[in-house]
Amino acid sequence: MDQPDQRLFDADVASADFRIGAAKGLWGQAEAELLPMDMKWPRVILWIAAAARPAAPERFYVSLDAAGYNGVPPTGTFWDSGAKQSLEFGKRPKGKPDSRFAKIFRTDWKDGVAFYHPYDRVAAHDHPQWRTDQPHLVWTSSHTIVDYLEEFHLLLNCGDYLGV
Amino acid sequence: MALHAGECKFQREVAGKRCDLADQELELFIHGAAAKPRVIVAAPDEVLRDVLVRFEIIKESQDDILVFIGECDEALSEPDDVEDGADTHAPVDVSLTLEVLDLKRHRHVHVHKCRHVAVEVNFSGKTKRRRFSPSTTVGVVTRWARKKFHLDAAAAAEYVLQICKSTDQPRSDKHIGELVEASKCSICFDLVKEVTPQG
Repeated sequence: MDQPDQRLFDADVASADFRIGAAKGLWGQAEAELLPMDMKWPRVILWIAAAARPAAPERFYVSLDAAGYNGVPPTGTFWDSGAKQSLEFGKRPKGKPDSRFAKIFRTDWKDGVAFYHPYDRVAAHDHPQWRTDQPHLVWTSSHTIVDYLEEFHLLLNCGDYLGV
Repeated sequence: MALHAGECKFQREVAGKRCDLADQELELFIHGAAAKPRVIVAAPDEVLRDVLVRFEIIKESQDDILVFIGECDEALSEPDDVEDGADTHAPVDVSLTLEVLDLKRHRHVHVHKCRHVAVEVNFSGKTKRRRFSPSTTVGVVTRWARKKFHLDAAAAAEYVLQICKSTDQPRSDKHIGELVEASKCSICFDLVKEVTPQG
């Protein structure tokens, strides 16, 4: 039987909010053939559409550890769906220097295994001050994977995103 | 319209032959006041009112609701000199079928008591107002507000809408009609700058 956190995650992937974004081509679950053979819960792989940039992909995959969903946020980083491993830094999205985008997708923190954002479990745990600095981004049990996807979709489609 | 054979939930008689509509089922997104959206599935030849009643979104005899379809983005083409503008996006006739209403393309159905949602956006000591269709997304209102306040294009993306007297910044894919109670057809936002994570 599925774990409670897995059941909650599956329900949110079936929700109208997730389906609306998927129908618009904003995000989705990775196709079965792109998943590692040994993948199992709490690991999930999703994709997020990105703005068109020269020589950059139309979408980025993220590999997330969703343990404890949705009492706590997921944690994870970009995924290479071809090599079936974490995306090497050279292929990751880059932002304008000193921008919010560049800060969130920095690779010089935790070896790039998590996003520098309150919606990442590791980052949020390491930065308790963010609860005061960014109260609107404090993850609560009313947040879902759609909040996560929408946040990073906006970033990957903003003017500060330069490409890879 | 071509019909295809196969297993189905919905069937009808056409020219004496039973035609299956399985692969024509429409996945629709239903939005209401102060509620999360729902996914429903219906056949193209069903009347919209019947569908809304079947899924208990409205009552059989209910006639105090307005139904909008699609997502309105009229505000994005509003001339800059227009003040206190309003969407012309009109409610639809719910006695029509999903096919006639072109819901295969529009997908979104908004059931609301408000003809418009009056939006106020505050920024830098000034306020801009507009009456939006309940079917307008927060993303569209945000882009309208950035344009109305003449924010520099390079910096505009970092400005987002926050509900007045709160720290709530609704997602850009939410519809304005979902953010207001059925009896209250207005909402106030502040246009605020996103915080860059530090530390």
